Amino acid sequence: MASRPAVAAPELALDHVAALSRAAGEDAALLAIRERARALLTPLTLPDRARHLWRYTSPATFLPDGDPSAAAPGDVGPAWRLDESLSAAALLGGGGLRVIEIGADARAAGVVIEDLHRAGVADLLGRVVPAGHGFLEAINTAAWRGGVLVRVPAGVTLEHPIRLRLVAGALSLPRVLVLAGEGSSFEVIEGHVGGGAAARVIGVTEVVAEANANVRYGLVQRWEAGVIGHLTARARVAAGAHAQLSLASFGGAEFKADVGAVLAGEGAAVETFGVAMGGDAQRFDHHTEHIHEAPRTTSNLDFKVALTGAARSAYTGMIRIAPGAAGSEAYQENRNLLLSGHARAESIPELEILTDDVRCSHGATVSPIDPEQLFYLASRGLAPMQAARVIVYGFLDQTLGRLPQTTRERIQALVAARLHTE
Amino acid sequence: MASTPTVADIGSDYNRRYGFHDPEEYFMRTPKGLSHEVVEAISLLKKEPEWMRVFRHKALDIFLAKPMPTWGDTERLSSIDFDDITYYVRATEKQEKSWEDVPENVKRTFDRLGIPEAERKFLAGVSAQYESEVVYHSVKEELTKQGVIFLDMDSGLREHEEIVRRYFGTVIPSADNKFAALNSAVWSGGSFIYVPKNTEVAIPLQAYFRINAERMGQFERTLIIADEGAKVHYIEGCTAPVYSSSSLHSAVVELIAMKGARIRYTTIQNWSNNIFNLVTKRAVANEDAVVEWVDGNIGSGLTMKYPAVILKGERAHGEVLSIAFAGPGQHQDAGAKMIHLAPHTTSKITSKSISKGTGRSSYRGLVKIRNGAHGCKTSVQCDALLIGDAARTDTYPTMEIDEDQVSVEHEARVSKIGDEQLFYLRSRGLKDDQARLMIVNGFIEPFVKELPMEYAVELNRLIELEMEGSVG
Repeated sequence: MASRPAVAAPELALDHVAALSRAAGEDAALLAIRERARALLTPLTLPDRARHLWRYTSPATFLPDGDPSAAAPGDVGPAWRLDESLSAAALLGGGGLRVIEIGADARAAGVVIEDLHRAGVADLLGRVVPAGHGFLEAINTAAWRGGVLVRVPAGVTLEHPIRLRLVAGALSLPRVLVLAGEGSSFEVIEGHVGGGAAARVIGVTEVVAEANANVRYGLVQRWEAGVIGHLTARARVAAGAHAQLSLASFGGAEFKADVGAVLAGEGAAVETFGVAMGGDAQRFDHHTEHIHEAPRTTSNLDFKVALTGAARSAYTGMIRIAPGAAGSEAYQENRNLLLSGHARAESIPELEILTDDVRCSHGATVSPIDPEQLFYLASRGLAPMQAARVIVYGFLDQTLGRLPQTTRERIQALVAARLHTE
Repeated sequence: MASTPTVADIGSDYNRRYGFHDPEEYFMRTPKGLSHEVVEAISLLKKEPEWMRVFRHKALDIFLAKPMPTWGDTERLSSIDFDDITYYVRATEKQEKSWEDVPENVKRTFDRLGIPEAERKFLAGVSAQYESEVVYHSVKEELTKQGVIFLDMDSGLREHEEIVRRYFGTVIPSADNKFAALNSAVWSGGSFIYVPKNTEVAIPLQAYFRINAERMGQFERTLIIADEGAKVHYIEGCTAPVYSSSSLHSAVVELIAMKGARIRYTTIQNWSNNIFNLVTKRAVANEDAVVEWVDGNIGSGLTMKYPAVILKGERAHGEVLSIAFAGPGQHQDAGAKMIHLAPHTTSKITSKSISKGTGRSSYRGLVKIRNGAHGCKTSVQCDALLIGDAARTDTYPTMEIDEDQVSVEHEARVSKIGDEQLFYLRSRGLKDDQARLMIVNGFIEPFVKELPMEYAVELNRLIELEMEGSVG
């Protein structure tokens, strides 16, 4: 029962917030949000590690070395050759936004992709992930640089996905806001690439799904080796809306993610599907949350982790059903496959159920490759290494099979590539 | 046993039968509050050896230095006023030798608890703890012949100091947690059992515990050692009178199962709703040993109890089977821990909980597999039943797996009593409350069937009582 007191943290300087805001051309309302977030960080208190959220990863890991608000814009992001059909594409790198493409159909339908600094949507920022969410979210809110607003008007259905590519620099604090109008239907993929040894990322994404919207949001993290990053992606889902959140984690040295949704309106539905592949000395720490606040809401979560080398993964998941959310259903599943004697997995799938009219279950497993499966594949002439690949692919594919086609194909390709380099 | 009128009536009149309290008649009690003087007084009074006196004082320093837990039901925990508790009360002057010598008021307590006279003869040593010290203690002659030691902890320390000193505090050191430190400083009573090599204790050993004095902590200390190849089943049942202000119960139970030994520890815990039940229970299972905790939590205001097995030797097996019933205003924060240190160790946790009214039950568990402990298998299953839309259930399982050649499974399910189930039973002519009771009984059946019959009967009665008025 020994408790670990909150760690006394080094001071975090945030001296250039006003200058940052001015240089980015923001309005006064946005600066006010930044200043309020900065106030939350003085003095800086790091979270108590007795709580599960920070049990396996030290909060100090993600603190920037210098003043994050002072970071000078880096080089212009790298070129990006599009080789697929997209409704829109945008690149966020070097602290700035470059809109690569908005398809004619999307443009005609009124889809907006623009610089979040100048979008004049201060009243919509922080509604899903307020600065008080956590200290990293507060740092992002105070000092984010480079942001994109995606707005799909009510009733619009997009045939092709919207792709966002976020390129990590030495220190990146990207911010994404996705607004899905009533009854809209589309897919948006947020891909994180780039970075290098000791690069830091603190990112926040908010997704607002209005009534009856259908949003497929994908978060694909494939940073270069050495990146230390924390990404928060949260959705607020209104009545009758459906949000599918998919998460694929491949890169970086140390990655912590906080992905989740509030089912705020009656009949809202959320599915979260994730895969993580770790090798070498990578450390992953994923947290998911499904908060049922309204009656007759349903959520489903399936998160799979495969680890080789000395990789470590921690997964903490929370399903909370509030007193008013009668008639709700929630399912949560976390499976971990350990492919080496030095890999390590932690799993804490949590439930907090505050009303009785619910159906709720969760399951978690940690296991090695089933020797019987290996034997079977060997009997079909597969070498052990090949057989292991087939099994891992199959293990992850059960989850990937539930994703929308473009995201699925993308992640499947990444999984296959990763398997062949192991 | 079911036909014995006294047993059959258990639970039918809770307040009268369990809520009574005898006027307090004490030969010795320490002043309220905790200090080195109180600890010194307890040790002096018990005429303990020097090492135990030092052990208590060190433990008190640890208790005072440790902060309160920052997890769990911190709101309720912070309402404990450690200065308002009497840490030691002794009911009678000396250890009674036979039932006839037990004072009248104590006997009356047992009568009202409904322990039938005949049952005492059947059962092995009935070690009944009244207040902080064991007042009645009889060990069947066969046990003595077998070399089995079954004493209260104080006598154990006096008569078998060498064994106690060797094992006391080795499974749960004083510094383990704040409440273990508290117990180590002020412990009194509890059971001490030693079963020699290859000895099988055929009948369960039982002890009844009881808190009587208002705001009096009960800090029993139990140590059970099953030597190589030995086998023992220990049963502990608790009831307490209903009082208006809070009492604290903080026990420490240590089990040591040597190579090939087998220990089963069964508890039915039925404290009254104002009691804090903060217990540390842990076992060490050596090579090929089996340790089973069968744990039922019905009463108390707040229970925090996580029976643990450290699977230290190869092929050791640990099991926890528990039920919790959280009625209105109660919080049952219970769970289990399995620490796999050796290869090919196996464990199983089955936890069932029922939350009714504003009751809250939480499963909080840990499964840890150390690197190198290959071939381990472990499964955790939690089922929660909710009755009423204000009921709450939480599941906080933790799995820390540091080895790849293992199989770990966790499953949890939450449900309410289904309308289809009720409809089916009503169509068979059952009334609503009967139907509900039947469903609840079916839900806890896997637990009940592991209990000795008299406990199963008592538990069913208690559940029936708790379920009264749950319709509508």
